[in-house]
Amino acid sequence: MSGWERKQLCDGVGFSYIADMRFKKGRIGATLITPLSRKTAAANALLSFVLTRSCRNYPDFTALNRKLNDLFGAALYPSVYRRGDFQMIGLSAAGLDDRYAPQGKNVSGELAELLCEIMFDPKLVNGRFDPADVEQEKRQLIETIDAEYNDKRTYAINRCTENMCREELFSIGRFGSREDVEALTTDSVYEAWKVLLDQSEVELMMLGSASPDTAMERFRKQFESKPRKCVGQTKFVAKVDEVKRIVETDEIAQSKLVMGYRCAHPQNMQERIASGLMSAVLGATPTSKLFLNVREKQSLCYYCSSMVDNDKGIMIVDSGVETKNIEKTENAVTEQINLLKNGVISEEELENAKLAIKNAYIASMDSLAAMQSYYLSMVLSGENYSPREAAALVDGVTKDQVVAFAKQIQLDTVFSLIGN
Amino acid sequence: MSFTEIKNERFGEKYYTLRHPSGLTIMVCPKEGFESTYAVIGTRFGSVNSEFVHNGVKVKVPDGTAHYLEHKLFESEEGDAFALYAKTGASANAYTAFDVTCYLFLCTDQFDESLRILFDLIQSPYFTDETVAKEQGIIGQEIKMYEDNPEWRVTMNLLQAMYQNHPINIDIAGSVESIAEITPEILFECYHSYYNLNNMVLCVAGDVDPDTVLRIADEKLKINEPVQVESVFPDEPYEVKQTLVEQCLPVAVPQFSLGFKENAPKNYASTKQLLCTNIILEAFAGTGSALYRKLLDLDLINSSFGTEYMEGNGYRAVIFEGETRAPQEVAAIIKEEVRRLHQTGIAPTDFDNAKAVAYGKIAYGFDSTYSIASEMLNAAFTGRGVYEAAELIESITLDDVNQRLKEQLDPDNCSLSVINSIS
Repeated sequence: MSGWERKQLCDGVGFSYIADMRFKKGRIGATLITPLSRKTAAANALLSFVLTRSCRNYPDFTALNRKLNDLFGAALYPSVYRRGDFQMIGLSAAGLDDRYAPQGKNVSGELAELLCEIMFDPKLVNGRFDPADVEQEKRQLIETIDAEYNDKRTYAINRCTENMCREELFSIGRFGSREDVEALTTDSVYEAWKVLLDQSEVELMMLGSASPDTAMERFRKQFESKPRKCVGQTKFVAKVDEVKRIVETDEIAQSKLVMGYRCAHPQNMQERIASGLMSAVLGATPTSKLFLNVREKQSLCYYCSSMVDNDKGIMIVDSGVETKNIEKTENAVTEQINLLKNGVISEEELENAKLAIKNAYIASMDSLAAMQSYYLSMVLSGENYSPREAAALVDGVTKDQVVAFAKQIQLDTVFSLIGN
Repeated sequence: MSFTEIKNERFGEKYYTLRHPSGLTIMVCPKEGFESTYAVIGTRFGSVNSEFVHNGVKVKVPDGTAHYLEHKLFESEEGDAFALYAKTGASANAYTAFDVTCYLFLCTDQFDESLRILFDLIQSPYFTDETVAKEQGIIGQEIKMYEDNPEWRVTMNLLQAMYQNHPINIDIAGSVESIAEITPEILFECYHSYYNLNNMVLCVAGDVDPDTVLRIADEKLKINEPVQVESVFPDEPYEVKQTLVEQCLPVAVPQFSLGFKENAPKNYASTKQLLCTNIILEAFAGTGSALYRKLLDLDLINSSFGTEYMEGNGYRAVIFEGETRAPQEVAAIIKEEVRRLHQTGIAPTDFDNAKAVAYGKIAYGFDSTYSIASEMLNAAFTGRGVYEAAELIESITLDDVNQRLKEQLDPDNCSLSVINSIS
């Protein structure tokens, strides 16, 4: 029911179109991909917020947002995240499908145009971004970085990966550091804009019922004739010499335990699925080893779960526990991981994990945002499977492949946040 | 017994509904071309329903009982429902809110079997001293997790400051002390009162056909004789209990929540009232508003700023919330602008702009099986029609909105809740 087509618009720029008639919404987005770098991470991150704040035609926050409101509550979504040692700057727009727009308004056309305008035709003062806009967005980004500390689960996970990958680009963080953001100027952000548009790899994606032709041409013209190449490679750490242990204390009611592991680098879709199955068996479902043993059997916690990041080759296990139970919980986690490494996985456990993963793949087809993220990850991994095809591959993955993957995981860092 | 079809022409939507002989209300929305199916069964029993009259007998249960019951119902004599869902691949969960408890699953295969599990789950209570005791540790940790959550704390503190008597001022999960009093007998009492199928609604949306749902309902559901059960709520004065409540937590950016308490009859707001409120809040405090811009330019808010309308039996309030370095200053500005708003009313251009947003939001709600099913459940429990908002939105006038404004946002009846940084 939904077909995926991708065209190479020009060197380093791809445009995917997913025709889908089922939704009341349409979506169009650009993702700019660049190696993580301490020099540019903060400027790139800030840029996504500066660009979605105004443009030449709608030169302030209020004017741009009232325009979006008029398009029936359309929205611009800036997003900044890491994929391996790369920084991904996303600028997406979503709004009402034309078929449902009163007075025959061409919402999809206007939104695609608006996305182009915010990217290529921003509001400039003396040939630079407006200093007031830059300062305003800097203040907000600093608050966003600070607020990551407010949610102790996220904070503890961030601290664990930061310490674990401190010798790698990955430790830079998606927004760069607070100090880097503070040091940004209108000149440095303007420079980042030029470099990002001219040099990063770009993936454009349009989803919905509207024809992609106009938007595709518009973007082709903008990006044409600039040689671009995203050079860089994610560092995968194959061997851990010594487990790092970091303990912090805070005024909290519940202590947090985060264990960071190194995993193998999956080379193809089957291996990615094997890694996902390993995490599902271990701790990503309510019938997983961690859920059943650490939560249900030992009543140590409300959550104890695992998540694997195939693009960086790391796995995080985290839990919220009583301080006195931290060691007990760590031992319980280690025990379950050793079972996995020794191939103690029942037919039932593997089958449950497969069903859960297939369910997640297929369910992603019912959301535009989920499809956008799924297909983007396909393009970036150089794969070409639809969610249904990916689900079909799951059945072919064997227990041996899952165990082989599990055998390679190594504990790297244990981070605990202890309540006073 | 057959389904009634309800349609909305503008958005090309429809659903089917019937009252099953068992007592259960069933609502099914088939979504053409969808790959997944979302099902949720809910009862009108949440944390606020801690006092009720069951067959003439008055019952009072410990704080957090509804949530505890939700956890324990997931377990039957044969074991945990998660283990059964694992065989169908469905991703399942449950949650307890102030006025409802819901059990749900999302599946892409074996829908029939997953629905059987859901029906079994809510029809086979199994509570023993041992299974009830086991949950103390798990829920105890869930409670502690929320104690550290500034967003949850700022809201709960606000409700405690606004409400003098209404149990909306009590944490959904209760406290470590209150849940220690919960026994299997208490859980059975609540179960027999509120998990009677006459008090429950099943909503399904996605890749589903109504006849399948009916067939499985016929196969699985036992006929329930209606029970007499009525929740009892204390009288709640119009006035807030206190105007300011503060707590210190380890946060980097303080959080605020400013609630305007309103007159709250013992029923739900109408669709028209809700639409008008949405338009007021968008026009007054949305990203296109003068207020949002003013607070932004003064460096007082960031993109976490937002508004919410909270309403149920005996409570109604407009809430403004977000992170800020200066909570008192934000609150003062909002109140000052509210006073001005009451004098001027919503301006016509602001009204049109905000109404377009409200229109879009209604449409977007039809894109996800989760939001469709939630909306159906909500409609069934509140007496509002599923498509009422879609039908009414275009007829809402500036005058309607300004009339509604008179019932809301009383600047002399609000509470400010603040989470300050420890350091």
